[in-house]
Amino acid sequence: MAPLLEGFAHVLTPVPFLLVLLGTFLGILGGAIPGITGAMIIALTLPLTFNMDPGNALSLLIGMYVGAISGGLITATLMRMPGTPAAVMTTFDGYPMARSGRPGRALGLGIAASFVGGIISWVFLVLVSEPLSVLATRFGPFEYFTLVVMAMVLIASVSQGSMVKGLLSGALGMLIAMPGVDPAAGGFPRLTWDVLYLNGGLGLLPVLIGVFAVSQLIADIVDIERKVERTKFSTKGILMSLKDWKDQAWNMIRSSVIGTWIGILPGIGANIGSIVAYTTAKNMSKTPEKFGTGYDGGIVASESANNATVGGALIPLIAMGIPGSVIDAILIGALMIHAIQPGPTLFINNPEIVYAMISACLLANLLMYGIMTSSVGKISQLMFVPRAYVLPPILVFCVIGAFALNNLFFDVWVMLGFGVFGYFLERSKVPLGPFVIGFVLAPIAEAKLRSGLMMTAGDFSPIFTRPLPLIFVLISIMLLVWPFYQQWRQSRKG
Amino acid sequence: MKHRLVTTLAAAAAAMLMATPVLAAWPEKPVKVIVPFKPGGSSDQTARTFQKAITDNNLMPQKLTIVNVGGHYTIGSRQALEAKPDGYTFLLIHKALMGAQGGGMIDFGYADFEPVAETSEFCLLSCVRENDERFTDVKSLLKMATDKPDSLIFGANLGALNHMAGIQLQNTTPGAKFRFVQIGGGTANFTALIGNQTDTTVLSMAEYLNFKVKGVKGLCYMFPTRAPEAPEVPTCKEAGLGDLVYCVGSWWLAPKGTPKEAVDGLADVLEKAMETEYVQTMLKKKAMAPTFTRGEAFAKKLDATYKIVEPTAKQASKK
Repeated sequence: MAPLLEGFAHVLTPVPFLLVLLGTFLGILGGAIPGITGAMIIALTLPLTFNMDPGNALSLLIGMYVGAISGGLITATLMRMPGTPAAVMTTFDGYPMARSGRPGRALGLGIAASFVGGIISWVFLVLVSEPLSVLATRFGPFEYFTLVVMAMVLIASVSQGSMVKGLLSGALGMLIAMPGVDPAAGGFPRLTWDVLYLNGGLGLLPVLIGVFAVSQLIADIVDIERKVERTKFSTKGILMSLKDWKDQAWNMIRSSVIGTWIGILPGIGANIGSIVAYTTAKNMSKTPEKFGTGYDGGIVASESANNATVGGALIPLIAMGIPGSVIDAILIGALMIHAIQPGPTLFINNPEIVYAMISACLLANLLMYGIMTSSVGKISQLMFVPRAYVLPPILVFCVIGAFALNNLFFDVWVMLGFGVFGYFLERSKVPLGPFVIGFVLAPIAEAKLRSGLMMTAGDFSPIFTRPLPLIFVLISIMLLVWPFYQQWRQSRKG
Repeated sequence: MKHRLVTTLAAAAAAMLMATPVLAAWPEKPVKVIVPFKPGGSSDQTARTFQKAITDNNLMPQKLTIVNVGGHYTIGSRQALEAKPDGYTFLLIHKALMGAQGGGMIDFGYADFEPVAETSEFCLLSCVRENDERFTDVKSLLKMATDKPDSLIFGANLGALNHMAGIQLQNTTPGAKFRFVQIGGGTANFTALIGNQTDTTVLSMAEYLNFKVKGVKGLCYMFPTRAPEAPEVPTCKEAGLGDLVYCVGSWWLAPKGTPKEAVDGLADVLEKAMETEYVQTMLKKKAMAPTFTRGEAFAKKLDATYKIVEPTAKQASKK
């Protein structure tokens, strides 16, 4: 408990406090402006943190993470357009309610639910991450390898669209991670085709900025003529009544717990969390037909769950060094850029950073509630800023960001190349999430498997004879086979 | 006519004089140092420590600017190799350059640069778990590696500095053979060692000081004298391993053809910086040895180091 209090004392000092405040505010703006996603704004901010103290850098980025997931609800409610992918489910009930003349109430429900989701998942973050990290320090290479394989299968199988496309995307990400330094023989570059610049591989940051920011910019530019539907705005009902709190309490708690657990599962995050919580709320409701027509319970389920995934997804990141969501993959990059080794030893070697992250997460949720309830009206005006003014400066930031880490112009070409690549993937309905997770996790999986095989002199059997690896492999196989089995059963029925 | 010829000759002579790289006034503009590693790494910290000492003590009339080139250290090293040898571009690198050269990763090497100076070095220790009763000293470790070759697991970053140190350690005893396993750098090796996944590894003095309270035992220190911070660890010579020394120095190099004035000029500045209290305190804090060599002595040290690194690097690159 003492280190946690120290963490709080730290984030309440002026510089970290202002950084969390700034991060949360910018995150909300990013979430609220259509065409700017949380992943994009965080990938773009990362280069600005090079010279910061690592704890402060992570506090800023976590503030953005919380803000961006929350800000999406404004656009989802007022424009029927999810500001971030996490807010898709919120459009179903938020927009109809806003259209029927109660926009303040729709936003108020969403803000309060987001806050509760954030707080409940934060409690889990505090309680679960340290014991889990102690368990993970006993993980050998085979345990890690099979865990990472499970994470990769998981994200491919639950991502939007077809599973085959998810697997394809993940495989492409793994392929892109291959050139450069061999993860199991640190000294030797491979697959470089004699291009000196490939000796270090394709950089995490240029690839991330390309795939998340540049591809989105291209999509926005192609789509620049699109007109948006808008509803009138009033702040009436922005603060939830006591009766609402009582009516929604059970729904909030259930959706938050679902969101937290979905967040903990490696690789999948806010959008899946809100889909599962929404579906569960609908199935358990006495009046399921009201969902989708502007119903309180729908907004609450979606928003408490998507915010709960933030705290949940930080658990595997802090305890094991495995990203719980796509944004966490960027946070792992942030740790590595600051020369901090993510993984179970983070609690031992850098406790001050762990507790700064955990404290920043709580502070960001509190600030988010304050900012959103007090100034949601003004923030919503930003949605109508013409994108022609917004996009060019962002592209400039992309170029600076990609160049700054290595001082290599090669990285800028990599970024632009992956921007085009990401745009075409999205257009072909291939999800980008598995691509990034595959790109980040493939080197970990390869290094762990190969060092395990070096230890056993080439013997694969520990994967099947040790309990944890066996469980992870069996879950992976089930996840892979299940969708195909269901398809087969349906086709037999039909 | 004759008069004109003399004038022309005189003018030409004057022009030639001006064209020869006499840089009495070096430096006339900021001096750039390429650090082919990311900001925050140990080479970058060394560069910035010297930069601060030089600025704070007014040791140079111009600024020293540090350019971090990331990706892989061979990229920044090649940029320095191909830079104009005008005395305003330098490279800060270490032994890894020789590893890449010896392992055939690059087609250039340390001899394609002008040696400027070596400022400080960090040295490695052979380490095991504190509660591992099989090993009382480094001899008992090597004896087991001889009796049961290829069974003791040595955690390393294959092909990198700690792997080469391990090879040099086993080469001290004929017939000794570790099984080198890819683990990574210091922190990863500490975790694997404590978690019983590996039997032994090498750590830098700074890493050892950080981990010794958490269950790591140092068997011998690969430096000619014991470290003041860790007097409990004998040198490898004291432990009976002959002249085994494994240190990683910070090497300041210049592109081939850089004027002598600039090479000596920077060496002078670094030597003065080395004596400042700031540099001395920082080195102590990072448990680095305050070595300083320049000129002929540094060139000889580089040659001697490469004689040891080249065969080790070839051994390390065999898969």
